[in-house]
Amino acid sequence: MELLLSVFITLVKVLIILGVFLGVGAYLTWFERKLAGHIQARVGPKLVGPFGLLQPLADGIKLLTKESVIPRNADKAVYYLAVVLAVAPALMLFSVIPFGPSFTLFGYEIKPLVSDVNIAVLLIFAFGSIVVYGTIFSGWASNSKYAFIGSLRKAAVVIGYEVILGFSVLGVILLAGTMSTVGIVQAQIERGIWFVFYQPVAFVLYLFCMLAETGRVPFDIQEAEAELVTGYNVEYGGMRFGVFPLAEWYLGVMALSAIAVVLFFGGWSGPAIFGPLSPYLWFFIKMFGLVFFVLWLHWTLPRFQARDITEVGWKVMLPLAIANVVITAVVAYIL
Amino acid sequence: MNKATADRVKFEFKDVDVERTEHTVNLHVRHEKLAELLKHLKEREGFRHFIDHTCIDFPDKRERFQGIYILYNPDVNERVLVKTWAKDGKLPSIEKLWPCARWAEREAYDMFGVIYDGHENLRRMFMWEGYPYYPLRKDFPMEGPQEVELPSLTELYAGRTEPPSHDFELMHTRVATLEDLERTERSRLKKKAQLVLNWGPLHPGTHGTIWFLFDLDGESVVQSDVILGQLHRGMEKIAENIYYFQFLPYTDRMDYISAICNELAYVNTVEKLLGVEVPQKARYIRTMFAELQRINSHLLWLGTGALDLGALTVFLYAFREREKIMDIIEGNAGFRLTSAFLRIGGVHYDLAEGTLDVVKAFIKDFPQRLREYHNLLTRNRIWLRRTKDIGIISREDVFNYGLSGPVARASGVPYDLRKLEPYAAYDELDFDIPVGEVGDVYDRYLVRMEEMVQSLRIVEQCVAKLEKLPKSAPYVNKEHPAVMAPKEDVFMDLEDMVKNFRIVVHGEDAPPGEVYAGGENPRGELGFYIYSVSGSKPYRLRIRSGALYNLSIFPKLIEGRTIADAIALLGSLDPVVGETDR
Repeated sequence: MELLLSVFITLVKVLIILGVFLGVGAYLTWFERKLAGHIQARVGPKLVGPFGLLQPLADGIKLLTKESVIPRNADKAVYYLAVVLAVAPALMLFSVIPFGPSFTLFGYEIKPLVSDVNIAVLLIFAFGSIVVYGTIFSGWASNSKYAFIGSLRKAAVVIGYEVILGFSVLGVILLAGTMSTVGIVQAQIERGIWFVFYQPVAFVLYLFCMLAETGRVPFDIQEAEAELVTGYNVEYGGMRFGVFPLAEWYLGVMALSAIAVVLFFGGWSGPAIFGPLSPYLWFFIKMFGLVFFVLWLHWTLPRFQARDITEVGWKVMLPLAIANVVITAVVAYIL
Repeated sequence: MNKATADRVKFEFKDVDVERTEHTVNLHVRHEKLAELLKHLKEREGFRHFIDHTCIDFPDKRERFQGIYILYNPDVNERVLVKTWAKDGKLPSIEKLWPCARWAEREAYDMFGVIYDGHENLRRMFMWEGYPYYPLRKDFPMEGPQEVELPSLTELYAGRTEPPSHDFELMHTRVATLEDLERTERSRLKKKAQLVLNWGPLHPGTHGTIWFLFDLDGESVVQSDVILGQLHRGMEKIAENIYYFQFLPYTDRMDYISAICNELAYVNTVEKLLGVEVPQKARYIRTMFAELQRINSHLLWLGTGALDLGALTVFLYAFREREKIMDIIEGNAGFRLTSAFLRIGGVHYDLAEGTLDVVKAFIKDFPQRLREYHNLLTRNRIWLRRTKDIGIISREDVFNYGLSGPVARASGVPYDLRKLEPYAAYDELDFDIPVGEVGDVYDRYLVRMEEMVQSLRIVEQCVAKLEKLPKSAPYVNKEHPAVMAPKEDVFMDLEDMVKNFRIVVHGEDAPPGEVYAGGENPRGELGFYIYSVSGSKPYRLRIRSGALYNLSIFPKLIEGRTIADAIALLGSLDPVVGETDR
């Protein structure tokens, strides 16, 4: 009975997260287009529904009803696997993110995260590394030179930035003394201060890694529509194509923003001004603040070159991250 | 060419004839001495800057083809034409002297079938391998090549059905097949590295239908070539078969981003040939619109260049201003893009009511917008990283590759025809020529940005001048027998109507002679060389495309760099395919 109930609760949580984040991800396209429109002195989508709110639905219908064209010499199995590998890890990232404190419902204590494991941060890295397979497989399987070059660029970048990401987060783990996401948030609440104030360098590095991992400007070299005509997903059509930006640009950005909120911005902590829902609202406000920042950058900056990105990564950011870890460790030991 | 130089050349080369025509100085040299004379002119007499090379076909003459080399001396601001007759349909290649002659020679080979001895890879320039004609020869079948039976793709794959599944015409003019294109591709590049990337012809980064071949090792380009001709319309052949005034709208469609500048270069050349004086008002209107068009063109370059490097927003900001200029042009000429606004001897319409007010409002608003662009890009670290020290062009290369326009000026060569050979009203206006120091992509960016400021200065002075001129001042020199009167006169005045009728039916009566004149376009020197044997059509009209020569240095600059650099480089050279292909 206990087991059955816990399975049921977990299932409900999974469904809620899937529903919420896939829906929000789709609507993030609307938000991004609207935002881009206003940044670029135009209005953005406005014809489909009030304020263009039904635009994502229209886009979805269009993508779903497209004829599926697969290149003749494509490796079919890997071609499809790439789609799965692009979305699944991005969604899995949400499983370890605590959206609020635990509460009791009908006598059961419910934690608003799917799995409270004590190696949550490690899991995040693991899933993050799997995302890159989606890109590489799509580039390889579609048997196109453009897609291939795009995916190779992405591989080069992600390998470099995974390392930096790991080192930049280590400082926070050292401070919190735990790898559990819930533990890290709790540590920040106990101290009454967000880790971003202890670890500003780490946060900036994390931000760069986030942009690089999700392929957002200025690190969107694997797409680089001007040179590679959207690169790795050029041979995909219909919803198969739609899934890549959804996973990378929206789910990925949201997940990594949520993780940043957990690690650096005290998770759900905040004054209880919204009543019982305030922890969740605080979490989402912080998360969307970061998402907004990423979108803002996207529509403002030019793009780096692959060589420059890896160069900056290995030569500047990695030493900085390591120095940050060492200093944090020494200071944390002394205090 | 001054007397002393001519004497020196005569002394060195006994059998060189120096011919002075009304507009040009021609050196006639025998075929064997050509390379030697050109070398002498380049190294001893300072005629370093290669402007153009082309041929003329004289079917009645025994040698048939005459090669023409146009050179420029930047020290004393002089041009010279070197002419020689081909021997057995052959000319010596001068690619050792000027590397860009490679492309010019290939074009002459493509169009005339003249063989160049010593050319590294003499392939067709615009037409595909296997094309059976040489279009600019006088015996080219003007009714068009024979139609042949070409099946549709459906028929090729599924066989012919009865009744046919579609209304596909069976007989067609032969077009390049996939096999032809493959042959064209293979003839250009011997694969050395791992992967040949076809970049184009339909690719968002190439700014038109250019077909680049990159031989890639990893992401760096080992060698590359450019296949042009996807937009080749045979402008030069068309020009030979229509009257001078009829060719004007065609010039719009060459560099379609800066149509009025093209027109200005063309009418300027024809007016020189016909000896037409242009009224003051028309000259100022021309100058003002040409400069507006230059800003327009540079804005398009800025927008697309930034878009290529990922700065998506600059594109729309630039287009916002561009739209205003388009409106000004549309309000006056009636067309937005290919405006056909200029006429031989003047302009088509007088200034529309309120034009100057709109232009003044634009002048007031634009500097602020320019600051916006500077804010977004000029000091942006990423922008600097993408543009600094990329594609450095040395001064020597400017001359060797015949570069002109902002590309030449960014390398520190102050080659600007508006100052050197003033046309329209440029000699009465006050403006500066910005030049770069290093000659990299960033310098070209800065030069173009500053050129917009200078253009704005010119427009401002034109507006001030035009406001002072009386409203009734003539805008067309209709006294000249070769100039059509404005429309309102044609409808009201019998004499003008008869004259117009005569010109439209019989064309202008041009004197025999030859003339080369260039216009300073946003994409470099657009030159027209007209060879006239009297009559109303040019015997040969050669278009010297600035964009083509600027593009000719691309394969050299891209060597060893990545594809991401290719896009920054191409954006900074800023070719427009309508002009490179013609």
